[in-house]
Amino acid sequence: MSNLDPKTLRTRVENISTVPTVPSVLKQLSTIIENPKISLNEISHFVSKDPALTTKILQMVNSALYGFPGRISSVNHAVMLLGLNVVKGLLLSVSVFEIMHKAMMGLREHSIGVAIASKVIAQKKGLKEPEEVFVAGLLHDVGKVILILMYPEEYEKAVKESETASIAIFETERNHFSETHAAVAGWLSEKWHFPKKLCDCLANHHRPQVSTLAPLETSIVHMADILVKARGIGFSGDNLVPELNPQAHEILNLTEADLREVLKELEDSVEQTEEEFKA
Amino acid sequence: MPKILVEQLKPGMKLARPLMNSSGMVLMAEGTELTEARISKIENMGVDSVYTDGPSKPARPKEELLASLDRRFAKVEGNPQMALIKKAVREHIEALYE
Repeated sequence: MSNLDPKTLRTRVENISTVPTVPSVLKQLSTIIENPKISLNEISHFVSKDPALTTKILQMVNSALYGFPGRISSVNHAVMLLGLNVVKGLLLSVSVFEIMHKAMMGLREHSIGVAIASKVIAQKKGLKEPEEVFVAGLLHDVGKVILILMYPEEYEKAVKESETASIAIFETERNHFSETHAAVAGWLSEKWHFPKKLCDCLANHHRPQVSTLAPLETSIVHMADILVKARGIGFSGDNLVPELNPQAHEILNLTEADLREVLKELEDSVEQTEEEFKA
Repeated sequence: MPKILVEQLKPGMKLARPLMNSSGMVLMAEGTELTEARISKIENMGVDSVYTDGPSKPARPKEELLASLDRRFAKVEGNPQMALIKKAVREHIEALYE
């Protein structure tokens, strides 16, 4: 759209609560999580008002990929084990999943795949908090959902254009919106007071070389995105595998055997996870 | 790990995932060997399908999967790192059919 520049887009994105096409669940959640002093009690209270949301959150943390299956019985308990920031991220993901599925068929599957692959790579690299990278994977394309909700017709054009010209969706996004979904996710995650490393990861997952706060985590999500697209899981706007950034390759230094292991774990978990989060 | 419809379950199959009710309580543990009695118990729970041990084959033919793999990599052929990733994915896909 010719009237958009990054500054205007950013202002509009940061005010998504006033956009009529944004579902109320997302607006409410946005208001809750943008409060920097949000307490455990407020989060618990918000979640407990919505039994479906409570079930989805507990399902996610109790699923086999989280490592403690069947043992977390309340949102309070989840926050104690996983930390407020991870729960905030999970809360946003499960709330966005349904919208995601309607906005772009296959984006939810893609996101779950990237989350799983990110977690597996993070474990391989010995990261202490693989759950945080899992959340980064889940949310890496949340900017696409926001752009679709705000500009559905224009986004459709960007998808068509990347199909006919066979160029990556993040390139055509730039032509249509002046910025990419990654920037959008970066702005929102800052507004929502997500950890700085997570914001960095979301904003730079297509250019991990510029990440200053979380080069390793950003490279992991970048690589996970490539592997999930390579395997053809889900859909995220185009059918092209993006090129691995040389610096990310150096940081991660994964062997062919590593890649095969990540793919295997991805294959085993994706089917099951999709089932769990479908509802 | 194929997902099998309850009516297709046979004694001797093993559960690859624990069978849980909606609140996450484990009703049958992972690795449980199915018997006629257990199968009818699963039927009575109102479950549609369960995961059993063994490899699950993709629904689409191998040739189709490999052809779309080629299309997805068409723009990055020639990059040695991408060639390595493609090789790993190709071998991974081929192994799904063995």
